[in-house]
Amino acid sequence: MASRGLSDRVAIVGMGCTPFRDHWDRSADDLIVDAVQECLASVPAIARADVDAYWVGTQGSGMSGMTLSKPLRMTGKPVTRVENFCATGSEAFRNACFAVASGAYDVVMATGVEKLKDSSFSGLTATWPPSDGTDVEWTAPGAFSLLAPAYADRYGVGEEQLRETLTHIAWKNHRNGALNARAQFRKEVPRAAISGAMKIAGPLGVMDCSGVADGAAAALIVRAEDAHLYTDRPVYLKGMGFVSGAGEGTAAEGYDFTTFPEVVASAQEAYRQAGVTDPRSEIALAEVHDCFTPTELVLMEDLGFSARGEGWRDVLDGAFDRDGAVAVNPDGGLKSFGHPIGATGLRMLFECFTQLRGEAGERQLPEVRLAVAQNLGGQPGACVAFMAIVGTEEPA
Amino acid sequence: MPSDPSPLGAIGAYAVHLPRHGLATTAFGDAGRPGRQARTVAAPDEDAVTLAVAAALPLADEIAGAASLLLATSQPPYLDKGSAATVHAALELPATVAAADLVGLRAGASALALALRGGGAVVAADLRTAAPGVPDELAHGDAAVAFVPARAGRPVVASVLAHVAATEELMERWRAPGEAHPTVWDERFSAGVLGAAASAAAVAALERAGIERPDHVVVACANPRAAAAARKALGGDGEDAALERLTGTSGAAHLGLLLADALDRAGAGETILALSAADGADAFVVRADVPAGAGRRGPSAREQAQALAYVTYDRFLRWRGLLEISGAKRPDPAPPAAPPALRTRDWKFGLVAARCSACGAVTTPPGRACAACGAIDAHEPVSLRDKPARVVSFTVDHLTPTPAPPLILAIVDVEGGGRRSVQVTDAPAAGIRVGDVLLPSFRRLSSTDGIHNYFWKARPEAA
Repeated sequence: MASRGLSDRVAIVGMGCTPFRDHWDRSADDLIVDAVQECLASVPAIARADVDAYWVGTQGSGMSGMTLSKPLRMTGKPVTRVENFCATGSEAFRNACFAVASGAYDVVMATGVEKLKDSSFSGLTATWPPSDGTDVEWTAPGAFSLLAPAYADRYGVGEEQLRETLTHIAWKNHRNGALNARAQFRKEVPRAAISGAMKIAGPLGVMDCSGVADGAAAALIVRAEDAHLYTDRPVYLKGMGFVSGAGEGTAAEGYDFTTFPEVVASAQEAYRQAGVTDPRSEIALAEVHDCFTPTELVLMEDLGFSARGEGWRDVLDGAFDRDGAVAVNPDGGLKSFGHPIGATGLRMLFECFTQLRGEAGERQLPEVRLAVAQNLGGQPGACVAFMAIVGTEEPA
Repeated sequence: MPSDPSPLGAIGAYAVHLPRHGLATTAFGDAGRPGRQARTVAAPDEDAVTLAVAAALPLADEIAGAASLLLATSQPPYLDKGSAATVHAALELPATVAAADLVGLRAGASALALALRGGGAVVAADLRTAAPGVPDELAHGDAAVAFVPARAGRPVVASVLAHVAATEELMERWRAPGEAHPTVWDERFSAGVLGAAASAAAVAALERAGIERPDHVVVACANPRAAAAARKALGGDGEDAALERLTGTSGAAHLGLLLADALDRAGAGETILALSAADGADAFVVRADVPAGAGRRGPSAREQAQALAYVTYDRFLRWRGLLEISGAKRPDPAPPAAPPALRTRDWKFGLVAARCSACGAVTTPPGRACAACGAIDAHEPVSLRDKPARVVSFTVDHLTPTPAPPLILAIVDVEGGGRRSVQVTDAPAAGIRVGDVLLPSFRRLSSTDGIHNYFWKARPEAA
């Protein structure tokens, strides 16, 4: 028994992504129609009727496949609704890939949508099944804030250096987002405004947190050998890993909150499939799950871009700026692009797709051949982790 | 030491729990220090049930061997549903121990008389709130105390030599269900009636016990005029009033609190007249059978009263729900559902986790599989209830609204195995640090839709 993966077996031939915004004037239905329409428009050779099956990811903006088929008033097609915390959009993509690779369908679409702004609550909320009431209700910033002091303690990073590091991550992602018309926040933010922001949890201020937004995204996926039927510039899946955690980090001793073991495992699987041995030199850009600034810091080490304990130094040295060794979140990331949960995983692929095809305009990076889309959901010690590596090199 | 226990019952051990906090002033601004009168203050996550659990925990093994457990309080968190059952669950008592509530200001005295006579255990726990602005606002406090009956073959800590009850229908103070504080009739009128009932009961009890002058006198009465008059008339030395100046009168718990304090001071063979005046009076004559304090588990009432952390008046009002301050807009915590709470009752109420029979790791919350090695259905129960735990990491959550900010959440590793996510309660103003040692503390996590969610938080060891 082995995980064989789908390296070079499927390709993305078209994508769509709505702006991520406070879409007061749009429902989840409207947003998903927008994303599907844009995605279809990007591939003239594919009409809606040509798409054999659909996946829709949403954390809480709909139930069942009808989240997609009903707003489109689409009859006679299979639609699968998936949910996997903040990795929901990635999960829609992953399962759509398996479906075309199996030969069951020729053309499939993965979509994701989230409408968060119709609730007037601060931050994210979730509805859980009835319980015994004994689970501590960690807010997302509360849970992820545990990373910062744990990292600083383990590697002897001073309070000021840690703050500068986290500030740099937020500053960089806002700076990237300022160049992106689809991003929720489209302007640079001074470092002082980031470091001095109102505290939300532990050392994290409001400017260490990603944006809560509405949005939707979609991808058309076909078998690799069919890709050129639809586009001259397909983007191939080179490797993909996914791990669902056992939650042992919060259920038994041992875990120290300076890494995501689930991310490390899913990344190793993806790198193995893609034949990547030196991520820092081989990966041109990485869209990573920067839900909170310390998450991005820890991910730099979990993804092998930095040695353990060196990530903070690399961040401050600009290694992950747009012109650094690896451009991390060149589209602005969750921090400035916004985080409509079900759409985020596909939004990450949208930037990879756009950059790999040389369509990123002002944000375009030079010589992009391999890109990473890394997503996770849950909390440190108990999470699900997804990683995809996509590239332009034609399959052998 | 008498070999033949009194037919009125004997005490085998006792324990007192005072909340960590106090209130010394009703002026807005600084918390101040205790002056003429201060009181104990339960935090918003404490109620009669949690205070009762805290008092009874050191005696859990003895209570498990008692015939019954009576919970006396004027503030039962539920009507219809018994609150003693929750205390029973948290103490992991056998189902055969009958647990029942006695409600009202007199309940502490009645429970003591009934329980000890029948070999039962008593826990009296109360929270008292006077109307904001009344002259004796600081004179009422929160406390809990537990007594277990003496068992055959074990030392008798104190013997009940006499109990005389005198019942009087009297509108002295009353509170309809749901009201935040009682209404009080003219204190001078009530003092006369209660004083007469108390004197008569005391005289009769002393006569029945064959004692002319007790060595110690304690008087528990919410009416300060009546209490002062009775102390004077019975020759009390004022030690009970001295403790009361730090705690306030603690409703149904007060007689027990003062009796426990007297047992802390009474040498072997000394006698105590313990008088309660509510709905009439109850007079007990009790003889200490061991040296002072020898029957107590845990810290004394006075030690706890002297270690209180004083809160500001606005914080007190906020804790009592008398002043509402809005935070971030967040959904109310979901109330626990009845079937899951019953299925996991050993964990939810007794903090019983699972120790893997294959690898020895402790998994929380307990489930079918071991979080360390994955072995299925291979585990034994392990109680984390009495075990200290060390802070691995923590955060201060500014997003979740709480009446007692800051909300501290921590990951802790339990001594002997096990990791928990916990809410930290009773934290000092300076906060907590990684490496701090915390102890489990049974608290009310939230109340939504009329359902109180009880579970184990963690509190600093020194608190």
